[in-house]
Amino acid sequence: MQSLIVGDLRIEALEEEPSAPVRLLWRGKSNNRHPGEALAPYFREVLATADTRRVPLELHFEKLEHFNSSTITSIIQLIQDSRARAVKLVLVYDHALKWQKLSFDALRVFAKDDMLELRAA
Amino acid sequence: MCAFNFSIDLPVRSEWANVDLLRTSVQNCFTAIFSDIEGCHSLAMVTGELIENAIKYGDWTGPDEQRFHLRVWGEGRSAHVSVENPVQIGDGNAAEVLRTLGWMRSFPSSIEAYRAKLLEVAEADRASGNSKLGLVRIAYEGNCLLSAELVRGVLRVQAELTV
Repeated sequence: MQSLIVGDLRIEALEEEPSAPVRLLWRGKSNNRHPGEALAPYFREVLATADTRRVPLELHFEKLEHFNSSTITSIIQLIQDSRARAVKLVLVYDHALKWQKLSFDALRVFAKDDMLELRAA
Repeated sequence: MCAFNFSIDLPVRSEWANVDLLRTSVQNCFTAIFSDIEGCHSLAMVTGELIENAIKYGDWTGPDEQRFHLRVWGEGRSAHVSVENPVQIGDGNAAEVLRTLGWMRSFPSSIEAYRAKLLEVAEADRASGNSKLGLVRIAYEGNCLLSAELVRGVLRVQAELTV
C-alpha cells in the first residue's frame, strides 16, 4: 500500500497484517487548491484494497493540523463511495482539538448505519 | 485580559501559496497574543477560507496588478476578517455568495445550515466544485456572523467573530 504526499499533506499507509483494517495516518495540512485531484484516485486504490481484504478502512486525522473545505468535500465523496462498495469506513479524530471535534461531529449527519463510524480518540 | 486593538490591512497577490502563508501568519500572530489557541485556529481558518474563495472566484483577467485585499482587525475579543476581490459584471459566483448567505439565514442555527450543506454536497455533481461549503463552514466552525456586498465590481465578504 502506497503512502501519498501532496503539497503539505502526507497520508501514511500503515503496513499491517492483511486481516487488520487498512489504516491511513494524515499528517500536515491539506491546503491544496484541488485536493480531490490527488485524493480521489488514492481513495479508489485504498478502497479497492479494503474491499478485496474484506476489512474496514480507517482514516486517522489526530495528527492533522488543518484541512480546507475542499478536503471535506473529498471526504464526503469517500463516505459515499465506501458505502457503495460496502466497505466500513472509520474516521478517527482528536476530540480535544475543537476544530476537529466540530468538523467531524458535523459529519455524523452521514452516520445513518454501521458502515460509517466517527471515533473520538 | 488586557485591552488592545489590532489591524492588518494588506493588498495581496492572488497566488494560491499565499493562502497558507497568510492563514498561518494570522494563526501564529494571534497565538502569541491570546491564550485561547482554539480561537486563534478559528480566526485562521476563517481567514484561509475567505482568501481561498477570493483567489478561486475573483476576476484576475484585468491588466492591473492582480491582488485581493485582506483586512483583519478588532478590539478586545472581537475580531473581523474582510476579503475583497474584483469580479466581472454579472458574475455568477458573487451572486451565489449573496444567495448562500441568505440561505444560511433561513436556518435557526449555523450547525443546521452546515449539516444541510454537507448533505447538499453529497448529492451534488462532483465536477461542479462550487458548493460554497467554505462559507457555511466559516459560520459554523468559526461561530461568526457573515456579511457580503458587491459594490462597483468588488465583492467584499466579511466575518465577525469572538476570539
